Amino acid sequence: MIACISIPAFPLRAALRNRADVRGRPAALAPEAGEQPLAGACTAAAEAAGVRPGMRLSEALATCPDLVLVEQDQAGVEAEWENVLRRLEDAGFAVESSEPGCAFFETAGLERLAGGLDATLRRALAAVGPVWEPRIGAATRRFTALAAASVAPPHGIVVVDDDESALFLEPLPLDLLSLTPERRGELSDLGIKRLGELARLPGASVADRLGADGREAWRIVSGPDGKRVEARRPPSEIAEELEFPEAVANELTLTRALVALLERLLVRPERADRAPRRLALAARLVGGGSWRRALTLREPTADAERLRIALTPKLAELTAPVVSLRLELGELTDSVGTQAELVRARGSRLRERLREGLRQARVGVGLEAVCTVVEVAPWSRIPESRAILVPRDD
Amino acid sequence: MVADSRKQGDSRPARRLNEPQRALVVTRGVGRGAEPVNVNRLAVARVREEWRVVDRWWTEEPVRRRYFDVVLESGQNAVVFHDEEGGGWFTQRGA
Repeated sequence: MIACISIPAFPLRAALRNRADVRGRPAALAPEAGEQPLAGACTAAAEAAGVRPGMRLSEALATCPDLVLVEQDQAGVEAEWENVLRRLEDAGFAVESSEPGCAFFETAGLERLAGGLDATLRRALAAVGPVWEPRIGAATRRFTALAAASVAPPHGIVVVDDDESALFLEPLPLDLLSLTPERRGELSDLGIKRLGELARLPGASVADRLGADGREAWRIVSGPDGKRVEARRPPSEIAEELEFPEAVANELTLTRALVALLERLLVRPERADRAPRRLALAARLVGGGSWRRALTLREPTADAERLRIALTPKLAELTAPVVSLRLELGELTDSVGTQAELVRARGSRLRERLREGLRQARVGVGLEAVCTVVEVAPWSRIPESRAILVPRDD
Repeated sequence: MVADSRKQGDSRPARRLNEPQRALVVTRGVGRGAEPVNVNRLAVARVREEWRVVDRWWTEEPVRRRYFDVVLESGQNAVVFHDEEGGGWFTQRGA
Protein backbone atom coordinates (compact mmCIF):
# COMPACT_ATOMS: atom_id res chain seq x y z
CA MET A 1 0.00 0.00 0.00
CA ILE A 2 1.04 3.59 -0.59
CA ALA A 3 0.05 6.08 2.08
CA CYS A 4 -0.26 9.81 1.67
CA ILE A 5 0.00 11.99 4.74
CA SER A 6 -1.59 15.36 4.28
CA ILE A 7 -1.65 18.55 6.35
CA PRO A 8 -3.93 20.98 4.51
CA ALA A 9 -2.88 24.65 4.35
CA PHE A 10 0.51 23.77 5.80
CA PRO A 11 2.18 27.12 4.89
CA LEU A 12 -0.58 28.99 6.74
CA ARG A 13 -0.39 26.70 9.77
CA ALA A 14 3.40 27.09 9.88
CA ALA A 15 3.12 30.88 9.59
CA LEU A 16 0.57 30.93 12.43
CA ARG A 17 2.64 28.78 14.79
CA ASN A 18 4.26 31.81 16.42
CA ARG A 19 1.31 34.16 16.05
CA ALA A 20 -0.67 33.66 19.25
CA ASP A 21 -2.43 36.98 18.56
CA VAL A 22 -4.11 35.55 15.44
CA ARG A 23 -5.34 32.29 16.99
CA GLY A 24 -9.10 31.90 16.55
CA ARG A 25 -9.34 35.01 14.35
CA PRO A 26 -10.08 34.98 10.62
CA ALA A 27 -6.72 34.93 8.85
CA ALA A 28 -5.40 34.32 5.36
CA LEU A 29 -1.94 34.10 3.81
CA ALA A 30 -0.91 37.36 2.18
CA PRO A 31 0.51 37.18 -1.36
CA GLU A 32 4.27 37.49 -1.79
CA ALA A 33 5.75 40.74 -3.06
CA GLY A 34 5.20 41.03 -6.81
CA GLU A 35 2.45 38.41 -6.88
CA GLN A 36 -1.19 39.07 -7.78
CA PRO A 37 -3.15 40.49 -4.82
CA LEU A 38 -5.03 37.27 -4.06
CA ALA A 39 -5.72 35.74 -0.66
CA GLY A 40 -3.86 32.49 0.04
CA ALA A 41 -4.96 29.63 2.29
CA CYS A 42 -7.52 30.69 4.94
CA THR A 43 -8.29 29.62 8.49
CA ALA A 44 -11.65 28.00 9.27
CA ALA A 45 -12.79 31.27 10.89
CA ALA A 46 -12.02 33.16 7.66
CA GLU A 47 -13.84 30.59 5.54
CA ALA A 48 -16.83 30.81 7.88
CA ALA A 49 -16.83 34.57 7.26
CA GLY A 50 -17.00 34.00 3.49
CA VAL A 51 -13.33 34.34 2.51
CA ARG A 52 -12.06 31.81 -0.02
CA PRO A 53 -8.48 31.05 -1.12
CA GLY A 54 -7.76 32.81 -4.41
CA MET A 55 -10.21 35.62 -3.69
CA ARG A 56 -9.06 39.18 -4.56
CA LEU A 57 -7.68 40.85 -1.43
CA SER A 58 -10.02 43.83 -1.78
CA GLU A 59 -12.99 41.50 -1.99
CA ALA A 60 -11.76 39.38 0.92
CA LEU A 61 -11.28 42.45 3.15
CA ALA A 62 -14.69 43.79 2.15
CA THR A 63 -16.28 40.40 2.95
CA CYS A 64 -14.49 40.12 6.28
CA PRO A 65 -13.14 43.45 7.61
CA ASP A 66 -11.49 41.66 10.59
CA LEU A 67 -9.42 39.47 8.29
CA VAL A 68 -5.76 39.29 9.36
CA LEU A 69 -3.30 38.93 6.48
CA VAL A 70 -0.41 36.76 7.58
CA GLU A 71 2.93 37.21 5.83
CA GLN A 72 4.33 34.11 4.15
CA ASP A 73 7.11 32.52 6.19
CA GLN A 74 9.00 30.58 3.55
CA ALA A 75 11.94 29.61 5.74
CA GLY A 76 9.64 28.76 8.66
CA VAL A 77 7.54 26.52 6.42
CA GLU A 78 10.60 24.63 5.20
CA ALA A 79 11.96 24.23 8.72
CA GLU A 80 8.63 23.02 10.13
CA TRP A 81 8.10 20.62 7.22
CA GLU A 82 11.61 19.28 7.63
CA ASN A 83 10.81 18.62 11.32
CA VAL A 84 7.67 16.72 10.35
CA LEU A 85 9.60 14.60 7.82
CA ARG A 86 12.31 13.90 10.35
CA ARG A 87 9.78 12.79 12.94
CA LEU A 88 8.31 10.38 10.38
CA GLU A 89 11.79 9.11 9.53
CA ASP A 90 12.57 8.69 13.22
CA ALA A 91 9.46 6.50 13.47
CA GLY A 92 10.82 4.30 10.67
CA PHE A 93 9.00 5.67 7.60
CA ALA A 94 10.92 6.22 4.38
CA VAL A 95 9.14 9.30 3.08
CA GLU A 96 8.98 11.12 -0.22
CA SER A 97 8.05 14.75 0.18
CA SER A 98 5.76 16.04 -2.53
CA GLU A 99 5.39 19.58 -1.18
CA PRO A 100 5.17 21.11 2.31
CA GLY A 101 2.09 19.46 3.79
CA CYS A 102 2.04 16.35 1.58
CA ALA A 103 4.29 13.28 1.75
CA PHE A 104 4.07 9.67 0.60
CA PHE A 105 5.46 6.48 2.08
CA GLU A 106 5.13 2.74 1.49
CA THR A 107 3.58 0.79 4.33
CA ALA A 108 4.80 -2.70 3.32
CA GLY A 109 8.02 -2.70 5.30
CA LEU A 110 6.42 -1.52 8.53
CA GLU A 111 3.11 -3.37 8.63
CA ARG A 112 4.62 -6.47 10.24
CA LEU A 113 6.54 -4.42 12.73
CA ALA A 114 3.62 -2.24 13.75
CA GLY A 115 1.01 -5.03 13.66
CA GLY A 116 -1.03 -4.29 10.57
CA LEU A 117 -1.92 -1.49 8.18
CA ASP A 118 -4.10 0.45 10.59
CA ALA A 119 -1.47 0.37 13.35
CA THR A 120 1.17 1.52 10.86
CA LEU A 121 -0.91 4.48 9.75
CA ARG A 122 -1.77 5.39 13.36
CA ARG A 123 1.94 5.33 14.10
CA ALA A 124 2.55 7.81 11.28
CA LEU A 125 -0.20 10.12 12.59
CA ALA A 126 1.31 9.96 16.08
CA ALA A 127 4.77 10.72 14.66
CA VAL A 128 3.54 13.89 12.98
CA GLY A 129 1.83 15.01 16.18
CA PRO A 130 -1.71 16.20 16.89
CA VAL A 131 -0.94 19.89 16.58
CA TRP A 132 -0.76 19.69 12.78
CA GLU A 133 -4.07 17.77 12.47
CA PRO A 134 -2.63 15.32 9.91
CA ARG A 135 -4.76 12.92 7.90
CA ILE A 136 -3.79 9.83 5.94
CA GLY A 137 -5.10 8.17 2.82
CA ALA A 138 -3.87 4.76 1.74
CA ALA A 139 -4.37 2.85 -1.51
CA THR A 140 -2.40 0.76 -3.97
CA ARG A 141 -2.02 3.80 -6.24
CA ARG A 142 -0.39 7.08 -5.36
CA PHE A 143 -3.11 9.27 -6.75
CA THR A 144 -5.86 7.33 -4.98
CA ALA A 145 -3.92 7.65 -1.71
CA LEU A 146 -3.70 11.43 -2.27
CA ALA A 147 -7.44 11.59 -3.02
CA ALA A 148 -8.22 9.52 0.08
CA ALA A 149 -6.10 11.83 2.27
CA SER A 150 -7.96 14.83 0.83
CA VAL A 151 -11.30 13.53 2.12
CA ALA A 152 -10.04 12.11 5.44
CA PRO A 153 -11.02 14.06 8.57
CA PRO A 154 -8.32 15.55 10.87
CA HIS A 155 -6.40 12.71 12.62
CA GLY A 156 -8.41 10.32 10.39
CA ILE A 157 -7.45 7.49 8.06
CA VAL A 158 -9.16 6.52 4.80
CA VAL A 159 -8.08 3.29 3.13
CA VAL A 160 -9.31 2.59 -0.41
CA ASP A 161 -9.17 -0.98 -1.72
CA ASP A 162 -8.06 -1.52 -5.28
CA ASP A 163 -11.47 -2.71 -6.52
CA GLU A 164 -13.21 0.32 -5.00
CA SER A 165 -10.73 2.81 -6.42
CA ALA A 166 -12.73 3.87 -9.52
CA LEU A 167 -15.93 4.19 -7.51
CA PHE A 168 -14.15 6.22 -4.85
CA LEU A 169 -12.56 8.66 -7.32
CA GLU A 170 -15.75 9.10 -9.37
CA PRO A 171 -17.38 11.99 -7.42
CA LEU A 172 -14.21 13.84 -6.39
CA PRO A 173 -13.45 17.28 -7.89
CA LEU A 174 -10.71 17.92 -10.44
CA ASP A 175 -8.81 20.10 -7.93
CA LEU A 176 -6.72 17.09 -6.93
CA LEU A 177 -5.04 17.08 -10.34
CA SER A 178 -2.17 19.47 -10.89
CA LEU A 179 -3.82 21.19 -13.85
CA THR A 180 -3.36 24.81 -14.79
CA PRO A 181 -6.37 27.05 -14.03
CA GLU A 182 -6.87 27.46 -17.82
CA ARG A 183 -7.05 23.68 -18.38
CA ARG A 184 -9.41 23.31 -15.43
CA GLY A 185 -11.57 26.12 -16.81
CA GLU A 186 -11.56 24.45 -20.23
CA LEU A 187 -12.74 21.15 -18.70
CA SER A 188 -15.35 22.97 -16.65
CA ASP A 189 -16.67 24.65 -19.83
CA LEU A 190 -17.04 21.19 -21.34
CA GLY A 191 -19.09 20.15 -18.29
CA ILE A 192 -16.36 17.99 -16.79
CA LYS A 193 -16.04 18.75 -13.09
CA ARG A 194 -15.49 15.33 -11.49
CA LEU A 195 -12.66 12.82 -11.77
CA GLY A 196 -15.07 10.12 -12.90
CA GLU A 197 -16.27 12.28 -15.80
CA LEU A 198 -12.69 12.77 -16.96
CA ALA A 199 -11.85 9.06 -16.58
CA ARG A 200 -14.78 8.06 -18.82
CA LEU A 201 -13.50 10.11 -21.78
CA PRO A 202 -11.41 8.37 -24.45
CA GLY A 203 -7.72 9.03 -23.82
CA ALA A 204 -6.98 9.99 -27.44
CA SER A 205 -9.73 12.63 -27.46
CA VAL A 206 -8.42 14.13 -24.20
CA ALA A 207 -4.92 14.32 -25.71
CA ASP A 208 -6.34 15.96 -28.88
CA ARG A 209 -8.27 18.56 -27.01
CA LEU A 210 -6.07 19.29 -23.98
CA GLY A 211 -2.58 18.34 -25.06
CA ALA A 212 0.06 16.49 -23.08
CA ASP A 213 -0.87 17.72 -19.59
CA GLY A 214 -4.53 16.81 -20.17
CA ARG A 215 -3.51 13.36 -21.35
CA GLU A 216 -1.28 12.98 -18.26
CA ALA A 217 -4.18 13.99 -15.99
CA TRP A 218 -6.44 11.45 -17.73
CA ARG A 219 -3.80 8.72 -17.33
CA ILE A 220 -3.43 9.45 -13.61
CA VAL A 221 -7.18 9.23 -13.06
CA SER A 222 -8.07 6.29 -15.26
CA GLY A 223 -5.10 3.96 -15.38
CA PRO A 224 -2.50 2.55 -13.06
CA ASP A 225 0.01 5.37 -12.51
CA GLY A 226 2.73 2.84 -11.68
CA LYS A 227 4.69 5.48 -9.85
CA ARG A 228 6.28 4.15 -6.69
CA VAL A 229 7.44 6.12 -3.70
CA GLU A 230 10.99 7.35 -4.05
CA ALA A 231 12.02 7.88 -0.46
CA ARG A 232 14.48 10.65 0.17
CA ARG A 233 17.79 10.21 1.91
CA PRO A 234 17.65 12.14 5.19
CA PRO A 235 19.81 15.18 4.50
CA SER A 236 22.99 15.67 6.37
CA GLU A 237 23.56 19.34 6.99
CA ILE A 238 25.03 21.83 9.37
CA ALA A 239 23.79 25.33 9.98
CA GLU A 240 24.84 28.54 11.69
CA GLU A 241 22.79 31.62 12.43
CA LEU A 242 23.76 35.16 13.23
CA GLU A 243 21.41 37.52 15.01
CA PHE A 244 21.97 41.22 14.49
CA PRO A 245 21.59 43.73 17.30
CA GLU A 246 19.39 45.75 14.94
CA ALA A 247 17.85 45.21 11.50
CA VAL A 248 20.41 45.28 8.69
CA ALA A 249 19.70 46.16 5.08
CA ASN A 250 22.95 47.19 3.45
CA GLU A 251 24.69 44.70 1.23
CA LEU A 252 28.17 45.28 2.64
CA THR A 253 27.08 44.36 6.15
CA LEU A 254 25.21 41.32 4.93
CA THR A 255 28.19 40.16 2.88
CA ARG A 256 30.42 40.47 5.93
CA ALA A 257 27.95 38.56 8.04
CA LEU A 258 27.83 35.88 5.35
CA VAL A 259 31.62 35.57 5.42
CA ALA A 260 31.52 35.24 9.22
CA LEU A 261 28.89 32.50 8.96
CA LEU A 262 30.93 30.67 6.33
CA GLU A 263 34.02 30.80 8.54
CA ARG A 264 32.08 29.43 11.48
CA LEU A 265 30.51 26.62 9.45
CA LEU A 266 33.67 25.49 7.73
CA VAL A 267 35.47 24.91 11.04
CA ARG A 268 32.65 22.90 12.59
CA PRO A 269 34.08 19.50 13.59
CA GLU A 270 31.03 17.57 12.35
CA ARG A 271 31.82 18.70 8.81
CA ALA A 272 34.77 16.30 9.03
CA ASP A 273 36.50 17.60 5.91
CA ARG A 274 33.40 17.00 3.81
CA ALA A 275 32.36 19.55 1.21
CA PRO A 276 28.80 20.80 0.79
CA ARG A 277 26.96 20.35 -2.47
CA ARG A 278 23.85 22.27 -1.46
CA LEU A 279 23.72 25.67 0.22
CA ALA A 280 20.75 27.48 1.67
CA LEU A 281 20.65 31.04 2.89
CA ALA A 282 17.70 32.08 5.05
CA ALA A 283 16.85 35.30 6.83
CA ARG A 284 14.27 36.44 9.31
CA LEU A 285 12.92 39.77 8.11
CA VAL A 286 12.22 42.83 10.18
CA GLY A 287 8.46 42.69 9.65
CA GLY A 288 8.21 39.13 10.97
CA GLY A 289 8.36 37.31 7.64
CA SER A 290 11.21 35.23 6.34
CA TRP A 291 13.22 34.71 3.20
CA ARG A 292 15.08 31.69 1.86
CA ARG A 293 17.17 30.82 -1.18
CA ALA A 294 18.83 27.48 -1.91
CA LEU A 295 21.42 26.65 -4.51
CA THR A 296 23.19 23.52 -5.62
CA LEU A 297 26.85 23.67 -6.56
CA ARG A 298 28.11 22.06 -9.74
CA GLU A 299 30.77 20.34 -7.68
CA PRO A 300 31.05 20.21 -3.89
CA THR A 301 33.59 22.58 -2.40
CA ALA A 302 34.71 23.69 1.02
CA ASP A 303 36.60 26.68 -0.33
CA ALA A 304 35.31 29.70 1.57
CA GLU A 305 35.97 32.10 -1.31
CA ARG A 306 34.12 29.99 -3.87
CA LEU A 307 31.20 29.55 -1.51
CA ARG A 308 31.11 33.29 -0.89
CA ILE A 309 31.10 34.03 -4.62
CA ALA A 310 28.21 31.58 -5.09
CA LEU A 311 26.14 32.99 -2.23
CA THR A 312 26.72 36.75 -2.39
CA PRO A 313 24.42 37.43 -5.40
CA LYS A 314 21.53 35.88 -3.45
CA LEU A 315 21.76 38.65 -0.86
CA ALA A 316 20.67 41.16 -3.49
CA GLU A 317 17.32 39.35 -3.63
CA LEU A 318 16.45 40.15 -0.01
CA THR A 319 13.12 41.92 0.19
CA ALA A 320 13.44 43.68 3.59
CA PRO A 321 15.98 44.44 6.33
CA VAL A 322 16.98 41.30 8.21
CA VAL A 323 17.24 40.63 11.92
CA SER A 324 19.01 37.29 11.59
CA LEU A 325 20.85 35.48 8.82
CA ARG A 326 21.19 31.69 8.64
CA LEU A 327 23.42 29.61 6.42
CA GLU A 328 23.01 25.86 5.89
CA LEU A 329 25.49 23.55 4.24
CA GLY A 330 23.76 20.43 2.96
CA GLU A 331 24.53 17.16 1.20
CA LEU A 332 28.00 17.00 2.67
CA THR A 333 30.13 14.71 0.58
CA ASP A 334 33.63 13.39 0.88
CA SER A 335 35.91 15.28 -1.39
CA VAL A 336 37.32 13.09 -4.16
CA GLY A 337 39.57 13.78 -7.09
CA THR A 338 41.28 16.81 -5.62
CA GLN A 339 45.05 16.96 -6.11
CA ALA A 340 46.84 16.37 -2.80
CA GLU A 341 49.44 18.98 -1.93
CA LEU A 342 53.10 18.06 -2.15
CA VAL A 343 54.42 21.06 -0.25
CA ARG A 344 52.48 22.57 2.63
CA ALA A 345 51.02 25.95 1.83
CA ARG A 346 52.88 28.96 3.18
CA GLY A 347 51.68 29.99 6.59
CA SER A 348 49.88 26.74 7.34
CA ARG A 349 52.11 26.03 10.35
CA LEU A 350 51.52 29.53 11.69
CA ARG A 351 47.79 29.09 11.25
CA GLU A 352 47.94 25.81 13.18
CA ARG A 353 49.76 27.53 16.03
CA LEU A 354 47.29 30.36 16.03
CA ARG A 355 44.39 27.91 16.10
CA GLU A 356 45.93 26.09 19.04
CA GLY A 357 46.46 29.41 20.86
CA LEU A 358 42.83 30.37 20.28
CA ARG A 359 41.68 26.97 21.51
CA GLN A 360 43.64 27.42 24.71
CA ALA A 361 42.25 30.93 25.20
CA ARG A 362 38.73 29.56 24.83
CA VAL A 363 39.38 26.78 27.33
CA GLY A 364 40.79 29.31 29.79
CA VAL A 365 38.34 32.17 29.41
CA GLY A 366 35.21 30.69 27.86
CA LEU A 367 33.58 30.02 24.50
CA GLU A 368 32.85 33.66 23.81
CA ALA A 369 36.50 34.62 24.34
CA VAL A 370 37.47 34.58 20.67
CA CYS A 371 35.47 36.72 18.29
CA THR A 372 35.76 38.16 14.82
CA VAL A 373 35.14 41.84 14.35
CA VAL A 374 32.61 42.29 11.55
CA GLU A 375 32.17 45.84 10.32
CA VAL A 376 28.48 46.39 9.80
CA ALA A 377 28.14 50.14 9.34
CA PRO A 378 31.60 51.70 9.28
CA TRP A 379 30.12 55.04 8.19
CA SER A 380 27.87 55.34 11.24
CA ARG A 381 28.29 58.38 13.50
CA ILE A 382 27.45 56.18 16.48
CA PRO A 383 30.62 54.26 17.40
CA GLU A 384 28.88 51.16 18.80
CA SER A 385 26.92 50.71 15.55
CA ARG A 386 30.00 50.42 13.37
CA ALA A 387 31.06 46.85 14.15
CA ILE A 388 29.89 43.72 15.90
CA LEU A 389 31.74 40.87 17.59
CA VAL A 390 30.88 37.44 16.23
CA PRO A 391 32.04 34.45 18.32
CA ARG A 392 34.17 32.00 16.31
CA ASP A 393 34.84 28.32 16.81
CA ASP A 394 38.16 27.57 15.11
CA MET B 1 17.16 7.15 14.64
CA VAL B 2 17.92 10.03 12.35
CA ALA B 3 19.95 12.73 14.06
CA ASP B 4 18.35 16.11 13.74
CA SER B 5 21.28 17.97 12.30
CA ARG B 6 19.30 21.21 12.28
CA LYS B 7 19.63 21.28 16.04
CA GLN B 8 23.39 21.31 15.66
CA GLY B 9 23.28 24.83 14.30
CA ASP B 10 23.33 27.22 17.14
CA SER B 11 22.37 30.82 17.09
CA ARG B 12 24.61 33.02 19.14
CA PRO B 13 23.83 36.67 19.20
CA ALA B 14 26.54 38.99 18.01
CA ARG B 15 27.66 41.71 20.41
CA ARG B 16 28.30 45.32 19.60
CA LEU B 17 31.90 46.48 19.62
CA ASN B 18 32.74 49.64 21.60
CA GLU B 19 29.60 49.72 23.70
CA PRO B 20 29.53 52.84 25.94
CA GLN B 21 30.59 52.23 29.55
CA ARG B 22 29.04 54.22 32.36
CA ALA B 23 31.57 56.70 33.83
CA LEU B 24 31.91 58.80 36.95
CA VAL B 25 32.32 62.34 35.63
CA VAL B 26 32.57 65.59 37.59
CA THR B 27 31.70 68.66 35.54
CA ARG B 28 32.31 72.36 35.68
CA GLY B 29 29.09 74.24 35.06
CA VAL B 30 25.66 72.76 34.43
CA GLY B 31 23.37 72.12 31.48
CA ARG B 32 24.65 72.62 27.95
CA GLY B 33 27.86 74.37 29.03
CA ALA B 34 28.93 71.60 31.41
CA GLU B 35 32.51 70.43 30.80
CA PRO B 36 34.21 67.41 32.39
CA VAL B 37 36.94 68.18 34.92
CA ASN B 38 37.29 64.71 36.42
CA VAL B 39 36.74 61.32 34.73
CA ASN B 40 36.64 58.15 36.82
CA ARG B 41 38.47 59.97 39.65
CA LEU B 42 41.25 61.20 37.36
CA ALA B 43 41.52 64.95 36.76
CA VAL B 44 41.17 66.25 33.23
CA ALA B 45 44.29 68.09 32.08
CA ARG B 46 42.85 69.34 28.80
CA VAL B 47 39.76 69.10 26.66
CA ARG B 48 41.11 68.53 23.15
CA GLU B 49 37.88 68.51 21.22
CA GLU B 50 34.15 68.70 21.70
CA TRP B 51 31.35 67.67 19.29
CA ARG B 52 27.72 66.63 19.22
CA VAL B 53 26.11 63.58 17.61
CA VAL B 54 22.41 63.75 16.81
CA ASP B 55 21.14 60.70 14.96
CA ARG B 56 18.20 58.31 14.61
CA TRP B 57 15.76 61.07 15.52
CA TRP B 58 13.27 59.33 13.22
CA THR B 59 13.30 56.14 15.36
CA GLU B 60 12.00 55.30 18.82
CA GLU B 61 15.59 55.26 20.07
CA PRO B 62 16.98 58.68 19.11
CA VAL B 63 20.62 59.46 19.87
CA ARG B 64 21.67 62.87 21.25
CA ARG B 65 25.18 62.96 22.69
CA ARG B 66 27.78 65.59 23.54
CA TYR B 67 31.27 64.12 23.16
CA PHE B 68 34.53 65.32 24.76
CA ASP B 69 37.96 64.10 23.75
CA VAL B 70 40.04 64.70 26.90
CA VAL B 71 43.61 64.20 28.12
CA LEU B 72 43.75 63.05 31.73
CA GLU B 73 46.41 64.09 34.20
CA SER B 74 47.85 60.57 34.00
CA GLY B 75 48.57 61.21 30.29
CA GLN B 76 45.80 58.90 29.06
CA ASN B 77 43.45 59.95 26.29
CA ALA B 78 39.75 59.32 26.86
CA VAL B 79 36.51 60.04 25.09
CA VAL B 80 33.48 60.72 27.28
CA PHE B 81 29.99 61.78 26.33
CA HIS B 82 26.91 63.09 28.02
CA ASP B 83 23.73 61.28 26.94
CA GLU B 84 21.23 64.11 26.42
CA GLU B 85 18.38 61.64 25.82
CA GLY B 86 18.67 59.27 28.75
CA GLY B 87 21.02 61.31 30.92
CA GLY B 88 24.32 60.17 32.40
CA TRP B 89 27.98 60.17 31.39
CA PHE B 90 29.76 57.41 29.51
CA THR B 91 33.23 56.63 28.24
CA GLN B 92 33.60 55.10 24.84
CA ARG B 93 36.41 53.66 22.74
CA GLY B 94 36.52 54.02 19.00
CA ALA B 95 34.73 57.37 18.95
